[in-house]
Amino acid sequence: MPQPSAPPSHLTVALLGNPNTGKSTLFSALAGIPTRIGNYPGVTVEEKVGRFTHRGMTIDLVDLPGSYSFTPQSPDEQVAIDVLRGRMADVSKPDCVVVAVDATNLERNLYLASQAMELGLPMVIALTLSDVAAAKGITIDDAALASRLGCPVVRVVAPTGDGVATLRERIVAAPDTPFPRPPDLSPHLSAIDGSRPQAAREAIARYAWIDRATAGIVSRSAPARRPLDERIDGWLTHRLWGTLVFIAVMLALFTSIFQLAAPLMDLISAGMDGVSAWAESVLPEGAIRSLIVDGVLAGVGGVVVFVPQIALLFLFIAILEGCGYLSRAAFLMDRLLVWAGLSGKSFIPLLSSFACAIPGIMAARTIENRRDRLLTILVAPLMSCSARLPVYLLLCGAFIPNVAFGASWLRLPAVVLVCMYAVGVIVAALVASVLSRTIFRGPPQPFVMELPGWRWPQPAVVLERVREAAWSFLKNAGTLILAMSVVIWALGSYPKPVLPAAADLTEAEQQGEALRQSFLGRAGRLIEPVVKPLGWDWRLGCAAVASFPAREVVLGTLGVIYNLGDVDPGEEEGATALVRRLKAATWDGTDRKVFTVPVALSLMVFFALCAQCASTLVIIGKETRSWFWPIVTFSYMTALAWLAAFATYQLGTALGW
Amino acid sequence: MVAGMSVSLESIAVGHTATVADVLGDDAVALRLLEMGLTPGIVVRLVGRAPLGDPLELELRGYRLSIRRAEAARITLTAG
Repeated sequence: MPQPSAPPSHLTVALLGNPNTGKSTLFSALAGIPTRIGNYPGVTVEEKVGRFTHRGMTIDLVDLPGSYSFTPQSPDEQVAIDVLRGRMADVSKPDCVVVAVDATNLERNLYLASQAMELGLPMVIALTLSDVAAAKGITIDDAALASRLGCPVVRVVAPTGDGVATLRERIVAAPDTPFPRPPDLSPHLSAIDGSRPQAAREAIARYAWIDRATAGIVSRSAPARRPLDERIDGWLTHRLWGTLVFIAVMLALFTSIFQLAAPLMDLISAGMDGVSAWAESVLPEGAIRSLIVDGVLAGVGGVVVFVPQIALLFLFIAILEGCGYLSRAAFLMDRLLVWAGLSGKSFIPLLSSFACAIPGIMAARTIENRRDRLLTILVAPLMSCSARLPVYLLLCGAFIPNVAFGASWLRLPAVVLVCMYAVGVIVAALVASVLSRTIFRGPPQPFVMELPGWRWPQPAVVLERVREAAWSFLKNAGTLILAMSVVIWALGSYPKPVLPAAADLTEAEQQGEALRQSFLGRAGRLIEPVVKPLGWDWRLGCAAVASFPAREVVLGTLGVIYNLGDVDPGEEEGATALVRRLKAATWDGTDRKVFTVPVALSLMVFFALCAQCASTLVIIGKETRSWFWPIVTFSYMTALAWLAAFATYQLGTALGW
Repeated sequence: MVAGMSVSLESIAVGHTATVADVLGDDAVALRLLEMGLTPGIVVRLVGRAPLGDPLELELRGYRLSIRRAEAARITLTAG
């Protein structure tokens, strides 16, 4: 039984504020690294809680999603209200609310603060970005503001820690501080046309109240010259220069993801190879060794190798977001994406998906609008990721005639390669526009986006984003990928083959025979009627089934199944041996070649559009918190891939390619 | 300006300022525009347009806001 007279030793404090107010930086300055990160139950909104102690008091700081008002327009904003009203199952009702108010943008920030004043909770206003405001010639009489609002106002510069100690004092003292006076809107309301909806009248009245509350306490001295950020903005959103800078930034971003990640990925691959070799040397030959080396280690390696790309992508996104460029990119690209039923905010997730759909889908978190976010996630896997490239390269190189196309320097294989990328983009645009006009049809989605002022990204916030993205990827995808890899390994290894005793088979031939007799091989033969219209024999069907965990597996599987040892797609010699073997492959019991131009094209189109990537499906499930959407994604992509491959093969055959 | 004819924020030239008369409509979009500070009497400057003409970049109450032309068309301006 708690003693009513004993002073509380624990406080739950909610941190509220508009987006782009330096709220994340303030959170780091107050609480350091969060103690709990997860999702609120039932929604995809991130829950972030940090803990610090001050004057013997333990304070749980709940970082609420950035919100503009208490009439929610996104799941994020709904969560903020639910937590503040004590309606969120996971979080106890806050004892106090800290409102981050951007000093450079006082009026609009006070809109949310004035709504928070009606909560009946002790409140502290943290006047963030005071240094930026001062540089812009904005001065705020914080003492006068505090007395007009009836709650403490603390000026903070979170990156340097100025004012943070004072803010802690005010938070600890908050339970003994009188509640702020709820704003009296009635004199303003009476001046507004009564036929309007109550919410609209209230919004207008609230701003009228804010204008009066801030009258005489904010002074703006006009700077001698146009502020720097205004000049930067003029260039970066300019029709011509803005577009050029945008293209340059994106090129730099993606080349660096590939270039900088490559050595790290090689290092991880080499490390995993070393571990595998070591495991192979210490474990006795048999099922256990095969499970650990071919199943577990191969599976883990396949996941860990993506970590550098994910970390780098999120590093760049966090920097671009922190300095304010991300909103400019969305601004520049919005019109193009509206044609496809998406919005400007879908741009970065979709572009990222060309490297890998996993960071792309994770990057869709930056889209507040639920419909736009889901649509983006559903079409992101159609962008040709780097795992498709080896498949394209092998098949283009081996089966597309190396003839000139139009100009002598332009070769047909290169044209086909570009077409494969185009197929993904065009189909994604079609799918998004069809879905947005059917299943996702609804009232027009507004695009009302703040373009925050230019500022330096905060290292603590940037690193936290990178750490969180890498860790959540490892934790969530790792477990399931591992399970999937073990299942595919088992299907490809059992039942054990019955080899003719007297037959003198090479090791590669033995492996091929083993695969033929395994569950996987039987499945390949079972689905032969389904893949035959695509021009594939049972072995190609088998390779497609086996590449469910990851597309790039298909090369290794093709190597095994066409009686060749495991082929590492990176090895030039292995690839050419694989090409020779594929060129020689014939339909069972005939000398009809399996691989013709239409078959190679249908296989590439299939891989361009199919959802053969377990990690992607797992991440979609994780991000949408439902198994429904990964199933939808897999079904529609597989159906599209089959239809497009069928059309390609039939057309190619009819035209006599 | 002809009486009764209303000009919207969509139609002003880049670099020009105007005073908001009202936001048309009773839906969530209208409410969000009001909540972002586009209230009657406030002065707005059209900073620029995106390369394909849409969306628009506005300046009001000391900050920058981007809205599409469809939204801007609902913001009427006072004459003069």
